[in-house]
Amino acid sequence: MNALVAISDLVVDFRTRQGPVRALDGASLAVREGEKVGLVGESGSGKSTLAMALGRLLPPNAEWGSGELMVAGVSVRDLEGAALRRLRSHTLGYVFQDPIGTLDPTMRVARQLAAVMEAGAGAADVSSLLADVGLQDHHRIARSYPHELSGGMAQRVSIAMALAANPKLIVADEPTASLDASIRGQILDLLVSLCAAHGTALVLLSHDLRAIAHCCDRVAVMYGGRTVEVGATAEVFAEPVHPYTEALLRAAPGQERLGGRIEPIPGLPPILTGRAEGCAFEPRCRHRIDACALARPESSEIAARQVICHRAEERRPAAP
Amino acid sequence: MTGSVVELRSVDVHFASGPLWARRRVHAAREVSLGVAAGETLGLVGESGSGKTTTGKVCLGLIRPTTGDVVFDGHPFDYRRRARRGALAAVLQHPQWSLNPRLHVGTSVAEPLVIAGIGGREETRRQTGEMLERVGLQPVLAKRYPHELSGGQRQRVAIARALITHPKFVVFDEAVSALDVSVQAQILNLIRELQAEAGFAALFISHDLAAVRYVADRIVVMYAGEVVESATAETLYGRGRHPYTRGLQAASDLIEDEDARLADASEEIASEGCPLTPRCPIATDLCRTTHPALRPLGDTLVACHHPEGRAGQS
Repeated sequence: MNALVAISDLVVDFRTRQGPVRALDGASLAVREGEKVGLVGESGSGKSTLAMALGRLLPPNAEWGSGELMVAGVSVRDLEGAALRRLRSHTLGYVFQDPIGTLDPTMRVARQLAAVMEAGAGAADVSSLLADVGLQDHHRIARSYPHELSGGMAQRVSIAMALAANPKLIVADEPTASLDASIRGQILDLLVSLCAAHGTALVLLSHDLRAIAHCCDRVAVMYGGRTVEVGATAEVFAEPVHPYTEALLRAAPGQERLGGRIEPIPGLPPILTGRAEGCAFEPRCRHRIDACALARPESSEIAARQVICHRAEERRPAAP
Repeated sequence: MTGSVVELRSVDVHFASGPLWARRRVHAAREVSLGVAAGETLGLVGESGSGKTTTGKVCLGLIRPTTGDVVFDGHPFDYRRRARRGALAAVLQHPQWSLNPRLHVGTSVAEPLVIAGIGGREETRRQTGEMLERVGLQPVLAKRYPHELSGGQRQRVAIARALITHPKFVVFDEAVSALDVSVQAQILNLIRELQAEAGFAALFISHDLAAVRYVADRIVVMYAGEVVESATAETLYGRGRHPYTRGLQAASDLIEDEDARLADASEEIASEGCPLTPRCPIATDLCRTTHPALRPLGDTLVACHHPEGRAGQS
């Protein structure tokens, strides 16, 4: 399988009134065709910036620094006009956190869907698309306005919209964060099964580690604008190498025993103003050594994962 | 349930909607009974529409039950606002919406004291500073506006505001749902610590069973406005007795059991028999016709005909 997305050492800054803020500080990620990749990290870790950069959807105050971002063999930062529109309309599909806000409130569902489908798509095509996303009541939903739908239904409609043009990659940014716990699983299962059926690759952003563990083949853990650990999901979550991955897993309720305590990560995520000279996680890390603050760790390959940590080698998981 | 700070006895809440000639009635809560003792946290879980927020509002006196009684501190609930000033508090999901964006957070925290007329200006300032420190914020942050704080800090401010009058009862309605994993852990631990210190009774409402199980002593599971299971947190570290509870546990990976998963929520709620029937993996004919009553099973109360799963059929 070919690399559909190849991001290497990507740097993105935001100009703000207080000076530049570095959102991506050398992020690297590859996504193969049809692959499902999870992106996890706290807010401010840069995962949304990375997702938006894929479609060049960054706000105007964003500044692309060094590094490359290739989608389907073309460099996204150089795209203009028709080629850029083609990337957004045919290569990529986006699913966002707030489904009702994503849909146009003034248009019935059927019209919105028809607008993103191939020219000449009729009511029957719209219906079958809605049926594909598990909406049994698709005649009524096609005639509805977004505000008449529940959150779960609206998210199904926005998944249908994202898939309408048969894209190569779906980028889902916290698609279930605003939904109810009991339907989160269903929406994710739907997204994953539709991507599998169409051979579409999926980049799923979430801070819900369980959801990522459930859905994704590979996971990229982001911190301070870098992808600090990238590897097969089951292996990374079973035996995290990067201390940040370990700390994230320990902070989630659900795995503690009765009467036990969950351990929040001490301190706050950093706000970078430029290139981090040391490891961005160093102030919060329980395994830090002197070198961590002084030298910028580079990516190393440990047990078939890419890890950015000075102590990655000594933290190598036991051989399977 | 003696010694409860707040107690609901067979509370029913109906809402009416639609035009006068086609009135529709929604049963938001049906025969809900629960009690929260001082120093105890009662967890309340369920999907949206299960009536958990309605139940929280009844406990706070924001909704009057259609039938049934609410008892606060041993007396029937007094709906005159002045009567319960400072005794009840709530922490909601989105601190950016529940704090006034035009007030310094210190002013917001002090407001309940000022309204209740407790202490002079100096005393109020001292207490505000102390309260901010207790929730883990530096007192200098009192001079900031809500938008200058992070989500976790804002939620700490909301908690400080809720606790400053030393309330007897606090409702946390989805108080950690909008927060990051790590911040969520901090706030959950903070709630546990503050309660151990201050000894208030708490109702912790969330759709996240993992979070509820972590902070609560006892847990009430609601579905379609009814209590379907009431158990100790300890019990829910194992398998729930009600298939709905097990469905929630399976959905959040607290138990590994694919068979426990519930069907899609889009089906109509059954009007006859057990409301869970259309979604339940172990429903039988009995469930379709007869409404199960809440009955004790060990130290748990459960409203199910087959609380032990299919093998337990009789």
